[in-house]
Formats: sequence, C-alpha cells, structure tokens
Amino acid sequence: MIAATAAGLAGVLSFHTKSAPLIVGGLPVTSTTKGSPGTSVAAGAPPPHGSSGAGSPPSSTTPTTVPSTTPTTVPSTTRSANGPLVNYNYGVLSVSITVKGKKITNVGIASLDDGGNFRSQSIDQQSIPLLEQQALQAQSANIQGVSGASYTSAGFEQSLQAALGKLGV
Amino acid sequence: MMTSEITAVGECPEQRRAIRHHEQVMGTIVTIDIYTEDGNRDPAVSLGLARARATLRRADAIFSTWKADSPMSRLRRGEITCDQAPLEVAEVLELCAIAREMSAGWFDPWAMPGGVDPTGYVKGWAAQAALAALTSSEISGAMVNAAGDIASFGGPQPATPFKVGIVDPFSPGQLACVIALNGAIATSGSYERGNHLIDPRSKRPTTRAASASVSGPDLGLADALATALAVAGETGLTVINALKDYEAVVVSLDGTWRWTEGFPFAVPGQLPVGSEHPSGSVVSLRP
Repeated sequence: MIAATAAGLAGVLSFHTKSAPLIVGGLPVTSTTKGSPGTSVAAGAPPPHGSSGAGSPPSSTTPTTVPSTTPTTVPSTTRSANGPLVNYNYGVLSVSITVKGKKITNVGIASLDDGGNFRSQSIDQQSIPLLEQQALQAQSANIQGVSGASYTSAGFEQSLQAALGKLGV
Repeated sequence: MMTSEITAVGECPEQRRAIRHHEQVMGTIVTIDIYTEDGNRDPAVSLGLARARATLRRADAIFSTWKADSPMSRLRRGEITCDQAPLEVAEVLELCAIAREMSAGWFDPWAMPGGVDPTGYVKGWAAQAALAALTSSEISGAMVNAAGDIASFGGPQPATPFKVGIVDPFSPGQLACVIALNGAIATSGSYERGNHLIDPRSKRPTTRAASASVSGPDLGLADALATALAVAGETGLTVINALKDYEAVVVSLDGTWRWTEGFPFAVPGQLPVGSEHPSGSVVSLRP
C-alpha cells in the first residue's frame, strides 16, 4: 500500500529515470558475512563527544517515560486526516496521514501544486515519507534499516504536524 | 510502536529486536531499534531508551531553528552569545569547524543564509549521542535512524553486521543497494531539505549529485560529509577518500554511481541498481 503510493509518486515525478527499476528484495543478499566475533560490535558506538553534554539529560530521564512508548495493548481504530495546505519553496502541498491508535501507518501527499516547476520535481520527493522506509524494509527481510535523503522541509513538517494534531496523536 | 520478538535458542536465530520506538523530534521521526541476546526488554533496555529519547529531545530544544525561542535561534539573532548558550552549542560549533576543515570547506554552517546554522550536523550528532545512551551490556546491537541517517553499534545477531538499504534517488520507492553497516551512514540528496543545500562557495542553492552517502564511525561527521558531497558532486569523493575510516558513494545527476574503494557494499561486486550504464561509467575511485 505504502510502496504502491510511493511508486505512483515516483512514476509521476520521475524525470529521467532510464533503467528499469529492480527490487532489492531480489538481490542476492542472502548470505551474511560471518565475521569473527567482535569485529562488528560497537566499532562506532561511543562517539568521542557523545557523552559530554547531551548524554546527561535533565530529570526527564526516568524509567517512568517508558509508558509513553506506543501502547502494547490492543490498538484502537484506524483513522486518517489531511494536513492543511502549506506553502513550500516550490508550491503548495498537503500531507495525508493514517494512524492506528497512536501509530502512524501511512504518510502521503494529499495534494500538491508545484505549478509544473521542473525544479520542484526533485523537491517533491521530500514527500516520500520516512515511514515508507518500512515498506522498503518489507521488500527485503534481510535488511534492518534504510538510508536515504529525508523529508524535513518546513512545509511538509508543518502540514504533517497539523494532521497529527487533528487526530490527537 | 514496540515489538517484541523472541527466537528459539539454537538453530539459525532470526533477528532479536526487543524494541522499535518512533520519536517525533527534530522536525522528523527518529526510529530507535534495540536488539538483545534474548529479545526481551529488561529494565536496563528501558532505561537506555529513556535516556536516548531525552538526548534527542534536548538536542531538538537547543538547536531547533524552527523554534524561535531555542538557544540556537536566539544565538542566530544575536540575542545571546555562545557563552550564554547551553554547553552543547559550543561543542557542536567546534565539531562543525572540524567538519568544515575535513570537508575542504564543502560543509560550512557559517556560509548559510541567516547566520550560522549547524542543522546539517546536529541531526547526526544527536542520533549518535542517543546511540551512546544505549550502550549497556544488556544491549547487543542498536540503531538510531534519524530519517535515513543511521548510527549503530553491534548487529541483529552476534558477529553479524546490520544491513541497510540505500534508496535509489531516481526511484525513491526502491532500494539501489545494500551495505553491511559498520557504525554510521548518512545520505543526502538534492531532494533533501529543498533549497537548504547551499554551496558554501557561491552561497547559492546547488545540485551536483542526485544522492550522496557517507559511512564511518561517527554519524555527526558522516552527516556533514554527506551534505558536503551532495553539494560538491563526485569530485568531492577525493576529499572523502583522503579521510581515514570514512567511505562514500555518489550518484550523479545522470545516474552514474561512483564510490570510494572501501565502501561497504554487502555484496562486493554487486553493482547498485540503476548503475548498469555504458561500460566505464561505473568506477571505483582509487587513491
């Protein structure tokens, strides 16, 4: 569902995609390298600066914050909302979201008017939501994460937050 | 969201992810994944998660340029000096200065419009700091994924690295390749942050690459270097290639992939999807 939405977006927005896209799920990523124990562990864990200031957060660091992690109990209903139309650098967009309980299950673009601006086509790819990463991960059970340029534009964020607010999330 | 997956002891263990947590912070969503030996969530894991979340929220409170009353915003308006800001501000600005030097000036928060803007460093720095908060003997692996920029240690199983897909910039619903993660990876693209990819040399919005990814031990630096590379384009590969422990791949605007020799593709020799261009257009950059 999410992937289909994204593929549709990508299709609409693609400007010079040449090669036929393949899905990584089909890549031979089966065999993992069996490194010697320890070689992969914690190589990048402690940053030289990581624990200086930000690592000693204020009193809000208590185990009592745990319950605010999304509920493990039976999720409530699935609901959707559109964010308001927000101006961004190359046009006007509105974000749509679907939540189940407090969990976001889909993020997309409800509407987009970029005036046909060529430059905006690449900018519009900000609309590819972070949560689509989960769809990408679903393509291949052999990966644990996805790295890609993110959507962090003010316009997207503004509409997204407003949509979340509508749903009380 | 939280999931709990427990696998049977013995044969071919699956992933043992104890927690997946989404935190809305820093204008995006940060995903925290914690793996443990048995997949259980014990109090030490919960404590680590709480610390990591607090670290992210504190970084957001200090550095947000969208919040008018954040110390960073006040500093940019000249209302306070660096000495009057939280200690993290001086720390990050010092790290930014180092990143500027290491990137040969292609990453330069001081060249941004509206005054110094370390946003390109802060997200990775905060995610790396959040990861550090997760370090404990009970946690065998962890990933902090800040909207596609990932800090990690360990793996899903002992002696097994995390594998991470890189999005195909020309088909963002698809992955172009998979890497074996050792530490951090950051990806910047021309579609990221809109016009915020400013060329420090011309001080104008610039696009010389469709996508640029940098892997290495520290996500703050990797994030800055990925931003630098997305601005510089493939010529910037020589800059990354000179840095110890950091590797990079650049997807040019024409779809050509180029990477430094040590870039950790999960399947060596496996060309990224979309890189099947005329012979010779895919090269491995050698020192």
